[in-house]
Amino acid sequence: MSSCYTPKCVLNEYIVEPAAIPWRLGQVAGITFRCQILLSGGDGGPEALHFRFDPCPSVFAHMHLTSQFQLLLQGRMDFPKSTMKLRSIAVHYTDHNFPYGPFAVAGDHDMLVLHPKQGGLITMADRDARRQINLGGRHLYGAVADTQWADLPEFGGGRSKALIPGAPGPYAIMIEYPPRTPVNLPDALYGRYEVVIAGSVSVSDQTLFPPGFRYVRDGQRVAPLEAGPDGATVMLLAFDQDALEGGLTGEELSVAAAAAMERAI
Amino acid sequence: MTMTHGDHATTPLPLVVFADFICPYSYIALDQMEDLQRDYNIELIWRPHWLHPEVPLEGAPLPADGTPDDRRTRTLAWLKEMAPDRVVQMRFPDKIQFSLFAFEALEFAQDHGLALPFKTAVFEALWIEGRDIAQFSTLQATADKVGLDADELGRALTGQRYRNRVRDSLQLARDAGVTKTPTFVMGRYRIAGWHYYEVFQTVMEKQGVPLRSADRQSAGER
Repeated sequence: MSSCYTPKCVLNEYIVEPAAIPWRLGQVAGITFRCQILLSGGDGGPEALHFRFDPCPSVFAHMHLTSQFQLLLQGRMDFPKSTMKLRSIAVHYTDHNFPYGPFAVAGDHDMLVLHPKQGGLITMADRDARRQINLGGRHLYGAVADTQWADLPEFGGGRSKALIPGAPGPYAIMIEYPPRTPVNLPDALYGRYEVVIAGSVSVSDQTLFPPGFRYVRDGQRVAPLEAGPDGATVMLLAFDQDALEGGLTGEELSVAAAAAMERAI
Repeated sequence: MTMTHGDHATTPLPLVVFADFICPYSYIALDQMEDLQRDYNIELIWRPHWLHPEVPLEGAPLPADGTPDDRRTRTLAWLKEMAPDRVVQMRFPDKIQFSLFAFEALEFAQDHGLALPFKTAVFEALWIEGRDIAQFSTLQATADKVGLDADELGRALTGQRYRNRVRDSLQLARDAGVTKTPTFVMGRYRIAGWHYYEVFQTVMEKQGVPLRSADRQSAGER
């Protein structure tokens, strides 16, 4: 894992291979899960967590103080909205301070929770925190099964699915690359996770297997990815300017959010 | 024209709730809207958004996402978190009901100045008494309960007297981009989906709608 835990030493690139990171058991309000802390965000950089919830009819409504992608790798997540029944592989995005849930979790649940920075955890049972809800917040989602493929002639034989199309806004695009394809991606001004969903990817002398990922940020050029010998399917999850908002600022709500997250994981 | 704090002390802020009687989240918004009306100077207007126009008069089976027990357990758990006081009384229908006649009856109640109590009574007929709101008899009994002429409502429903008006209202909801219920439109703010009371309080403050208790206090000070 390439990362830096000296406070405020934020890198432009983080490469994470989850297989090397230990699992821990967690429990919050009777909800049990396993969790890997893939990136702590303690350096001011991205925060990435890997969760496997035990089946649960209702995970309490909550929010984080930063933008968030949830990448559902396996299982089901059902939200109250009748059309919002996520089936893997699916992506769920919320702006900072935007609550979601309650939701049900089932079916060998496996999910990455991906933030551009530390976001803490605020339960919506906290009535004071409800006054901090982002009224203009966006709540976006999409599933692989509901999205059509589009050919990518520039990657001879490659194709993509835009689960959350972006332009403008955050985007979630899954791209399938043929074997050994070099992949030069555009800049990621506000930060982007590049998660391997299938096959493998070589980057900076490392090989990533699912659900390994790279996080890049700012307009700085980063090393190209290269699809492995069996090709690669990569989910690109890019934030927009909302990633600059919120975070753990030291205010009362931030302190509570940070403490709640620490208790949870 | 921008209204100031003082304007909304005297002129109510219109709050339009797009809802469908068959939506449990619209039902649990009833208490919130009543509290909001108690606390702030608002004009509550309930308008229809038809969630399932494809459902026939006799109703349709519930979606097959998990077993009926799973679905009930989940929904109850969610509602318990959102509105614990309401959920203990709720009965869940065993089918998706046909809402159009209830919307027509609401127009009838509107013409007789009783839209708000009638709306509440229809929700309760479905969600507490477990009755089928597609039945004229249910709507007539509900009308009677709030002081409306049940026979006259029966004639209005049979003659489809309010059908075009409801169609226009449903079109209005579509034109407004409503896709889920409840959807709340309050001045320049729109909230799609059930939300916390504190969120409505924030919206009131952002639009300069004073708390009624603050009005009374400042009037006393004067």
